[in-house]
Amino acid sequence: MIRRKRGLSSLHVGPHPEGWARGNTTLKRLLGVLQHRAIPGPRLSVGKTAAAVILLLSARPPVRLSGQSVDQLALRFASMTAVTGLEQAMADSLRGLFPGSARDRVGNVTLTLGQGSPKRLLSCPLDEVGYVVGNILPDGFLLLRRVGGATRTASPLLDQQLEGHRVTVFGARGAVPGVVAVKSTHLTRGRVGPGTPDPVFTVDNAYVDVGATSAAEAQGLGIALLAPVSLAKRPQLYGERLLAAPAAGRRAACAALAAAVQAKPKVKGTVVVAFTVQSLYASNAGLASVKALQGPFDDIKTAALPARYGDTAVETVALADADRLVREIVQWMEGR
Amino acid sequence: MKAVRDCVLAVLLLSAGPPVYLSAQDSVRISEAQSVLAPLVETYGVSGAEGPVREVVKRLLPAWAVSSTDTAGNLWVRLGEGGPVVVFVAHLDEIGFRVTGIRDDGTLELETRGGFISSLFEAQPALVHTEKGIIAGVFIPRDSGFARHTPPPLRVDVGTTSRAATIARGVGPGGTVTMPKQYVRLAGTRATGRSFDDRVGSTAQLLALRRLDRATLKHEVIFIWSVREEIGLEGAEAAAASLGTNPRRVYAIDTFVSADSPLELPNFAVAPIGRGAVARALDNSSITPPAYVDSLVQVARARGVALQIGTTNGGNDGSEFTPYGVVDVAIGWPLRYSHSPAEVIDLKDVVSLADLIRAVAETW
Repeated sequence: MIRRKRGLSSLHVGPHPEGWARGNTTLKRLLGVLQHRAIPGPRLSVGKTAAAVILLLSARPPVRLSGQSVDQLALRFASMTAVTGLEQAMADSLRGLFPGSARDRVGNVTLTLGQGSPKRLLSCPLDEVGYVVGNILPDGFLLLRRVGGATRTASPLLDQQLEGHRVTVFGARGAVPGVVAVKSTHLTRGRVGPGTPDPVFTVDNAYVDVGATSAAEAQGLGIALLAPVSLAKRPQLYGERLLAAPAAGRRAACAALAAAVQAKPKVKGTVVVAFTVQSLYASNAGLASVKALQGPFDDIKTAALPARYGDTAVETVALADADRLVREIVQWMEGR
Repeated sequence: MKAVRDCVLAVLLLSAGPPVYLSAQDSVRISEAQSVLAPLVETYGVSGAEGPVREVVKRLLPAWAVSSTDTAGNLWVRLGEGGPVVVFVAHLDEIGFRVTGIRDDGTLELETRGGFISSLFEAQPALVHTEKGIIAGVFIPRDSGFARHTPPPLRVDVGTTSRAATIARGVGPGGTVTMPKQYVRLAGTRATGRSFDDRVGSTAQLLALRRLDRATLKHEVIFIWSVREEIGLEGAEAAAASLGTNPRRVYAIDTFVSADSPLELPNFAVAPIGRGAVARALDNSSITPPAYVDSLVQVARARGVALQIGTTNGGNDGSEFTPYGVVDVAIGWPLRYSHSPAEVIDLKDVVSLADLIRAVAETW
């Protein structure tokens, strides 16, 4: 029922063990969480507090993340988009969260805590499989190419999740809403007989409709080749603190790392905290570059959380597990 | 605790996507159309559970309008006097699911309400509508059969692990299931959302009523917002039976499913969005007599209303009236990607449709 999210390197144990959720212990804990909770979750009613928060947040200054709980951080991170290799917007938000942090030449956001030895590295990958605009057609439709996912076993249905759903195109003038075209069910009637092939939808069939009627109108919205594109992010809380969203496992793990840093642990020696980019390209290029630029390290770990429904728009993590990960990270930083 | 929950909800709402907005260049008419359409689109009402949508329609009616609800659930507004009676009908319901059972592991078994491509719901957030409120969940992704487009029958996970726990949350057979939806503006005067079919028709009837010159009516005009259209025109069937042979004409105000898309065959149904309402002269349930199509064109032309003529697939509520000798003049507006979470319209067509309904009521 639950499987570890592929692509996370947390099970690797070597001279520099990378991995927080080791072996089966975390997995078993999460199984427990997911299988034994039956407490009603939040209802979808908007109270006065929600209204106030909406008013405050909708002013939309540069994203402010300081002083938030792991739940809030996880929700916020899960609503962000960081297509692999194009993570700058999310990296900017993280830099705002951690004064004193820096962005290296590859794009990783790093923060150094403590001093002296041992010197250890704690990382979390920011990026996700996504898309970029590959072509703009004369009638204003956009075509896509996938970014990431080629070097790992992506779900065969990853692209199909685009079909008939809302996407966001991150243009030079801001986020542009659009949809991916789908055949109208009415117009397929009488045209599809028994035994008709039933192929999965691929990105090559993805026509993005932003409402533009010409290439010039699309370009006028700030859309150009290589603009990042992702499913519109709609994180959903359900059950007992279960969070469903694309790449929810990674985002919740990064939220746990952020929350642990915000807890101001008494660090033993030096801990370099790195929110890494391009984990899905060039043999985990972001993490490798942190090692090359700031190493050597006496110990290396990657924050990770198990997830179910992995690689889907409803990849699900238990936020109770994120709580535990925060505690484990703090203990590790403090050398306990 | 409630404050934390509300904060989380607020973040969820904000992260759902770009907010509804009015473009600076919007005309008064476009703005008015959007102000009626957006709340209707963001209200849930699977076939058989249209109550919330019906209440929004009632709230948006002009103050002078007197409405009533029949035993089937259809909402009626009658005005004018004398014959020949004419009827306008748009439907309130939307496609979705109904809960048919709860498995031992707490997940929900479903049946579809209306026709749609089931993969569009797979691996998406889910909302279960119960008497106690809305329960969040997810449509469970398949765990096999990855080489096929079509998933196995969908189920919903509400985060419980036993039947008892699910029941304790107020979920049971008969409840309806949808996915979250939002009205979002696209470029120009275009917009996307789910259930434009037939909230646009419902909106057009409301807009027409708001501007209708009642003093000009030469006969009785009945506006109906019907139920259970998507599962077999059931509400219209009841309305037609109650009116019998009294009406002369019925105008079904419903979607014109358009082939205005790079994925569709151009054989028919090519009515581009943004070019006005469409005379739905031929579909799978009705044929409008050519003389009536001509009359509709004349009415539109006299008022300067944009009107296209076309043929598409699907049925319409008006066809339930034809066995009683009532001529069905189906009128629609072009819609891309029908019955999907990403339907696309042009608001100019909503205004055009409303103006045409008003013109027909006042002059025909």
